[in-house]
Amino acid sequence: MGERLAMTAKISLGLAMSGIIYAMFLVVPQYVGLGEAGRIIIVHVPTAWVTSAAFAVSAVFSILYLRSRSGLHDASAVAAAEVGTLFCLFATVTGAIFAQVVWGTFWNWDPRETSILVLLLIYAAYFALRSSVDDVPRKRRLAAVYNIFACVTMPFLMFVAPRIADSTLHPNCAFLQGSKCEGISLDLNGAKIGQLGDVVVELKAVQKQGDMTSATVEVRMPGLTDTADLIPTFDNAGQPADRPEFPGQSFRMILIEADVPAGTARVNIQAPGTGLLSNQRTLWVFMASNLTFGFLALWLYRIRATILHVTSLVQTTEAL
Amino acid sequence: MSKSLLWRATKAVFVRELRSEFRSRQALNAVALFAVCSIVAVSLGLGPLNRSAELPLVHAALLWIVLLFAAFTALARVFVVEEEQRTAAALRLAAPPHAVYLGKLLFNLLLLCALTVLVAVLAIVLLRMQVRSPGPFVVLLVTGALGLVAGTTLIAAMIARAASRGALFAVLSFPILIPMLVTAVRGTALALSGTGWDRCMAPIQTLIAYAVAMFVTSLFLFAYVWED
Repeated sequence: MGERLAMTAKISLGLAMSGIIYAMFLVVPQYVGLGEAGRIIIVHVPTAWVTSAAFAVSAVFSILYLRSRSGLHDASAVAAAEVGTLFCLFATVTGAIFAQVVWGTFWNWDPRETSILVLLLIYAAYFALRSSVDDVPRKRRLAAVYNIFACVTMPFLMFVAPRIADSTLHPNCAFLQGSKCEGISLDLNGAKIGQLGDVVVELKAVQKQGDMTSATVEVRMPGLTDTADLIPTFDNAGQPADRPEFPGQSFRMILIEADVPAGTARVNIQAPGTGLLSNQRTLWVFMASNLTFGFLALWLYRIRATILHVTSLVQTTEAL
Repeated sequence: MSKSLLWRATKAVFVRELRSEFRSRQALNAVALFAVCSIVAVSLGLGPLNRSAELPLVHAALLWIVLLFAAFTALARVFVVEEEQRTAAALRLAAPPHAVYLGKLLFNLLLLCALTVLVAVLAIVLLRMQVRSPGPFVVLLVTGALGLVAGTTLIAAMIARAASRGALFAVLSFPILIPMLVTAVRGTALALSGTGWDRCMAPIQTLIAYAVAMFVTSLFLFAYVWED
């Protein structure tokens, strides 16, 4: 009975995964400004979610291990970390490909890019620690301690990362605590230099011409590969009008607010890709994809945890 | 265990660390020379920098990179030495785990503060780093040092009995320190460029919160690292 249920689950998972891939290419519509590249979110976002969830699961099992000292809890923590690493790599690579195609750069220290890189480093350090301690109980104990310790730093990253850049290329900010994605305020008489992503921006002038308000902003690309003066504008109704492109990139600068007498202006990055999920078909495929990737991770995790636990039991028996 | 007993044991561990350091001066010599070498290397490598709006950020980043790597070389010693001289077992018998952790933490803090003063002075002299808001600058360095020590002392205890300790210490500490490092660099850049207390308070608060969180977690976890 159990075996048949497991087989059914396995086959449905395979079918669901095939369905997601089919839907990703044939059901999800193309997007203006994104082209075919927009389809990648069907894989990118669920893998990123699974990565964070796996990290949390791994930390929980680490706490349980320190309390129970049971090999099964340790095996579960390792299995969750391994699945997390795999999905973390997926999320990073798909994200970088998307960023190159759509935003014109593989990597730009967007807050989410920074936090997923740190997560990848933590996973790597966790496995490095495990491989350099020979004594099994000590290895398990130290790895569990490190996992919990690293987990405590994550809220700080969530808290600090939005402040690293006042603006993000990622479409919505709902999941990033403390970030409002409101762009950055520059002041001719005060803080006139700021950062959008990893681009340094310096306000040069704010002026009114007819019914348009414009700001002259010097942008310096990372490594000073390019500098340019961009002049975004907005019209009488306060709607952004001219949205100049950053040099060599395919994201744009918009002017949100400007006060000519005070010499202040608020500018932001505008990247193609905002409002992707407002399409019903995309939304449903996206939800189904989240669910399927979740189950895939769960399945991988179960198998891996069982294998690790059985292997360690066999080794202990042989040692006896 | 009574509070005063823990405090007495902590003090004993701390004084023991100080005494053994005064006898050999191993840690201080090695770390001071490391700091001098890296600041000189940075100054020679950069040459004269143009005065620009980004200069405070460059100086702050260099200062913290030097401090970070000096910390990587210095802060693991307190526990590695116990394993090398085979005194760890005796220490386990002689003092409760919390006292060992607190004593070593205090010693590391003292070492890192000395190191920070040295690096900052060398940076001001050799790199011609200009400190336009000295008050926030000093507070940021101190809270940053607190964060560095709180984030690495537990890891130092962890790697003491592992293979390839030095490299592992850096590998394990770095991801833990990233939030603190980013905050410290940004805050120090603000202080170098002459920003007042009002805008420097946010990074200072973040650094203090980080140090406290790491310290409390370490207290919880240290007994697990130190057993056996």
